[in-house]
Amino acid sequence: MSKPTSLFVIFFSLFVMSEAVFEDQVGKFDWRQQYVGKTLFAHFDSHSQSSKKLFLATDKNIFASFNSRTGELFWRHVDKAGPEGTIDILLLHGQGDNSGRLLRSWDTNMGGLNWEAVLDTGSFQAACFVAMQDTVKHVAVLKKAAISLHYLTNGHQKWVENLPDSDTVQYQAVYSGGEEEVYVLGVVPNSHLTIIAYSLEDGEIIKQACAINLFSADSGRRLLDTTVIFPLDLNGGKPFKLYVHAFLKKDDSVGYRVLVQTQDHALTFIQQPGRVVWTREEALADVVTMEMVDLPLTGTQAELEGEFGKKADGLFPMVLKRLSSQVILLQAWLAHLWKLFYEARKPHGQVKNEVTIETLSRDEFNLQKMMVMVTASGKLFGIDSKSGSILWKHYLENVQPNAVFKLIVQRTTAHFPHPPQCTLLIKDKDTGLASLHVFNPIFGRKSHIAPPALPRPILQSLLLPVIDQDYAKVLLLVDDQYKVTAFPSTKNVLQQLQEMASSIFFYLIRSDQGNLSGFRLRKDLSTERIWEVVLPTEVQKIVAVNGKRPNEHVHSQGRVMGDRSVLYKYLNPNLLAVVTESTDAHPERAFVGVFLVDGVTGRIIHEAVQRKARGPVHFVHSENWVVYEYWNTKSRRNEFSVLELFEGTELYNSTVFSSLDRPHLPQVLQQTYIFPSPITTMEATLTEKGITSRHLLVGLPSGAILSLPKMFLDPRRPEVVTEHSREENLIPYAPEMPIRTEWFINYNQTVARVKGIYTAPSGLESTCLVVAYGLDIYQTRVYPSKQFDVLKDDYDYVLISSVLFALFFATMISKRLAQVKLLNRAWR
Amino acid sequence: MATPGGQGGGALSTRGGARRMKWALELTLGNARGRGDRQSNQGDVMYPIGYSDKPVPDTSIQESDKNLVEKRCWDVALGPLKQIPMNLFIMYMSGNTISIFPIMMVCMMAWRPIQALMSMSATFKLLENSNQQWLQGLVYSVGNLLGSALAIYKCQSMGLLPTHSSDWLAFIEPPVRMEIMGGGMVL
Repeated sequence: MSKPTSLFVIFFSLFVMSEAVFEDQVGKFDWRQQYVGKTLFAHFDSHSQSSKKLFLATDKNIFASFNSRTGELFWRHVDKAGPEGTIDILLLHGQGDNSGRLLRSWDTNMGGLNWEAVLDTGSFQAACFVAMQDTVKHVAVLKKAAISLHYLTNGHQKWVENLPDSDTVQYQAVYSGGEEEVYVLGVVPNSHLTIIAYSLEDGEIIKQACAINLFSADSGRRLLDTTVIFPLDLNGGKPFKLYVHAFLKKDDSVGYRVLVQTQDHALTFIQQPGRVVWTREEALADVVTMEMVDLPLTGTQAELEGEFGKKADGLFPMVLKRLSSQVILLQAWLAHLWKLFYEARKPHGQVKNEVTIETLSRDEFNLQKMMVMVTASGKLFGIDSKSGSILWKHYLENVQPNAVFKLIVQRTTAHFPHPPQCTLLIKDKDTGLASLHVFNPIFGRKSHIAPPALPRPILQSLLLPVIDQDYAKVLLLVDDQYKVTAFPSTKNVLQQLQEMASSIFFYLIRSDQGNLSGFRLRKDLSTERIWEVVLPTEVQKIVAVNGKRPNEHVHSQGRVMGDRSVLYKYLNPNLLAVVTESTDAHPERAFVGVFLVDGVTGRIIHEAVQRKARGPVHFVHSENWVVYEYWNTKSRRNEFSVLELFEGTELYNSTVFSSLDRPHLPQVLQQTYIFPSPITTMEATLTEKGITSRHLLVGLPSGAILSLPKMFLDPRRPEVVTEHSREENLIPYAPEMPIRTEWFINYNQTVARVKGIYTAPSGLESTCLVVAYGLDIYQTRVYPSKQFDVLKDDYDYVLISSVLFALFFATMISKRLAQVKLLNRAWR
Repeated sequence: MATPGGQGGGALSTRGGARRMKWALELTLGNARGRGDRQSNQGDVMYPIGYSDKPVPDTSIQESDKNLVEKRCWDVALGPLKQIPMNLFIMYMSGNTISIFPIMMVCMMAWRPIQALMSMSATFKLLENSNQQWLQGLVYSVGNLLGSALAIYKCQSMGLLPTHSSDWLAFIEPPVRMEIMGGGMVL
C-alpha cells in the first residue's frame, strides 16, 4: 500500500467507536460505597480538642482515616491482602503505623506516606514511641529476639540490640517513660518477670531486674459523668470493643468521644451526651453472597397483571375488563400529575425524596430491585439497588466465624397475595449442622413459616421448579445419610414429589476424596447412588464446580454459518464444568484440568488438560460454552481459553432433552488467547430472553471492571479469513486479547479487591444489572448491545412534536388555500 | 396568386394576341381550343389539375381475413414468451445484491405475469375469434407461468427464499428438560 493510503488508513482507524460517559451522568445509574472491614485498632486524633480525624486499621490490611463528625472516609490505603500486609499495630503521634516487616510513617492530613523502613524479619511483639523530654523523636520496635530504635523523622535505625535469653523469656512490652531509658518487659511463664532497660543513645543495657511486681500505673481517678446510656441498635449484636478518646474541654471538664465496635462489625460514634453521631456498617466489606429480588407491584399494576393472568372468559367481558383497567390507569395518572404540580409549587426544601420500604414498588422497566446481601459476620442487609441506601438489616445470632451460607429465593413478588420468601441455609463447618432462616426479602422480617428441624448435618440443597399451592418453589436438603428433607413439606408437595421422583437427580462432590457421585431420588425421599467418578487426589485436586444458572434463557438454538447452514449448539442443562488443579506445583509438571460431566448420567462429555498451567483458575459456564482463565507457567502469562460444544448440523431431538437418551458426543471447539493482566473474578451478563449479546465482566486487581465482549472469545475465529467467515462477522484470530479502556464499566470509581460480581436481568432486554462486591460495593447497569430498546436519554420530544404540529397545520392551511385558488381560477 | 403565365395568357387573350406561351394554362373557357388535357363538361367550371371525377377503384384491406385473425391471436398468445429473453437480460444486468434497483426489477417481473394470469378472462375475450383459442389460452398461461418461475429463480439466487435451515432457526423452540438436577460441592 502506498504511503498516503496507509496514513489515511491509520488516520481513520483512530476514529474508533468510543463509549464515554458524560460528566453529568456520573452517579446517575450507578453508585459505589467504600468500606474498610473489621476494625483492629482505632485512634482518635488528639492534636486538638476539635480535631475531626479518626484513624482505623482493619483486619483486611487497610489503614483509613475518617471524618469523626459524619463518618465519611477521608482517605484509605489498601495494602496487599494476605499475611504480608497485616497491620500489627497502630501508634499515633501524628504519624505511625507498623506492619511486621515494614515500618511506615503516614501524614495524617493527606494520607501520604512519609517514609518506610524495612526491619529485620522476626515476629513482631510490640512497639512504642520513645520520648525524650516531652518530644517524641524515636520509635522502639520490639521483636521476638531483638529491639531496635528508629528515628521518627526518617525511619533510619539508630541501634539494634539482641535481647538476652530470648529463647526462654517471652518479651512482651516496651515502655518508655520520658527519660533516657527504654524498658523492656519480659515474662518467663510461671516463673518471673524480667525488666531490661536500654539507654536511648546507644542501646547499652543499663540495668536488668527481676521482679514480680509490675510497675504501678497512675492512680486512675474515676471521672464524673462517665456513665452514659446510648441507644444501641438491638439488631446489631453486642458491643465488642470500645475506643475512647478523652479530652479536656474549654471549661476544664472532661469530655470524651467513644467509638463502639459491635459484633457485627458496625462502628458507632457516640458523642458525650449519649448522642449517636454516625454509624458505619463495616460488615458490608465482607459480603459472601447476594441475590436481587424484584420489588412488589403496586395495586394498579397487580390489577393489570391479573387481567392477563386469568383464563379468558369470553370476548365481551375481556373488553369490559380492559376498559375498566384503562379508566383506573387514567385516574392514577391524573393523580400523579396533580401531585407533581402540587409539589412543584412547594419550596424545594420541603420536598423530600426519601426511599422508605413502604413506598417501594416496581418501576416501569423493573430496573430498581432489592439487593439482599449476606455478610460473613452473619448480618443480612436489604439494599435498594438504585440509590444504595440500606433499607433493612438483620443480625443472626450465633453464627460461627467459619460458617457457610447459601441464599435461595423461593418465591418472588410475582404472586400477589403471597409475600416473597427467601431462605438462608447456614452451615457450621465444624459440627456440620445447618439451620434455615426464612425471611421476607422486601421487609427483612422473619417469616411466619417454620423451617423444618435439621438434626443431621446437611450436605447440599437443591431448588426444584416444582411449586406448591402457594407458588413457593420446593427446596430439597440432602443430609449425610443421603435422605432428603423437603422444605414446604405439605401433602400437595409430597404427592408431587412422589410422582416426579424418578426424574430428580443430585450430584455431590467431595474434593478431599476426589469423588463425584450422582444420586437419584426414590419415592420415600431416600436416594440411591447411580454413578461415581473418582479423580485420584494424588494427581489432582478438584477446585470448583459450576452448573448453568437456572434462569438463563438461550435465544437461538444454533449458529448460522456463512453458507446458510446451521451449527446447532449442544445445550445440555445437566452439564457440569469441573475444574481441577494438579497437586504437583512445579512449573514443568503443573496442569489444570477441565472436565465436562453430565450430572445425571455421570458421563464425561469432554476433558481437557492444560499443561504447564497453574491456578487460581476462574471460570464461567453458560449456554454451550466454558471460559476459563489460568496462569501459564512456561510462558509466564495469563491466558484465557474458551470451549464451545456443538451438536453438528442436525438436531438429535428438537423437542425434548433427556440426558439418558443422548448417544452422540458433541463436537468441541477450543481456542486460547493471551490476556495482559491477572484477574480476580469473572461473571457473564444475563438478560431475560437472551437476545442481547453476552459480555464477560472481569474484575481486575487494579480496581477496574472490564466488560469483555464474548465475540472475542469465539473458538471459530479463523486464522485465514474466508468469505464465509466474513459473512459470519468472525474476527480474525489474533493471540493477544486487547484490554480497551473504554470497556471499563466503572470509569474512575475503582472497586478495591473485587471478590465477586453478581448479574441480574432487568425488565428491559438490553439492560443487565451488575453488582460488584468485595471491599467496596459498586452497582451499575450494563448495555452489551447498546440500548436498542429505549429512546436515548436526551431525546428531543419538544423539537419533534413542534415540527410535527407545524407541518400538520401547514398542510391543512395550504390545502385550503389551494382549493380557494382553483375555485377562483375556474370562475375567471 | 395567379401564375404570371396564366395572367399573361389571360392578358394576351384579351388582346386577342396570337402569341401563346408553351406552359401557360388557360383557366377560362375557349371553345376553339379543345386541346390540352382538360376535359370540361358543358358546365363552365374548370377542374383543378389532377382532378378526375370518375370514381377510383377501392383497394382497401379485407377486415375479415381469417389468416390474419389467426396471426394476431397467436401474437397475443406468444407475447409473454417473447418477453422472457428480455427479462433474462434485465435480471443478468441487475445482479444478485439486495438494493433498490434489483428489487424493483424483480417486483415488476413477478407482478406482471401474476396480473396477466389474474385477467385471463379479458384475454380470452380477445382470443374468441380464433378457432384455436384454447390452445392459445394454454400457451399464454404457460408463458406467464414461465415468467413467474423466472422471477422466483431470481429471488432464489438473491437469497430471499427460505430454503436453508438457517431460515427456520428462529422458529425452533428450546427443548423441554426431562430431568431435574442439582447439588454441588459438599457444603
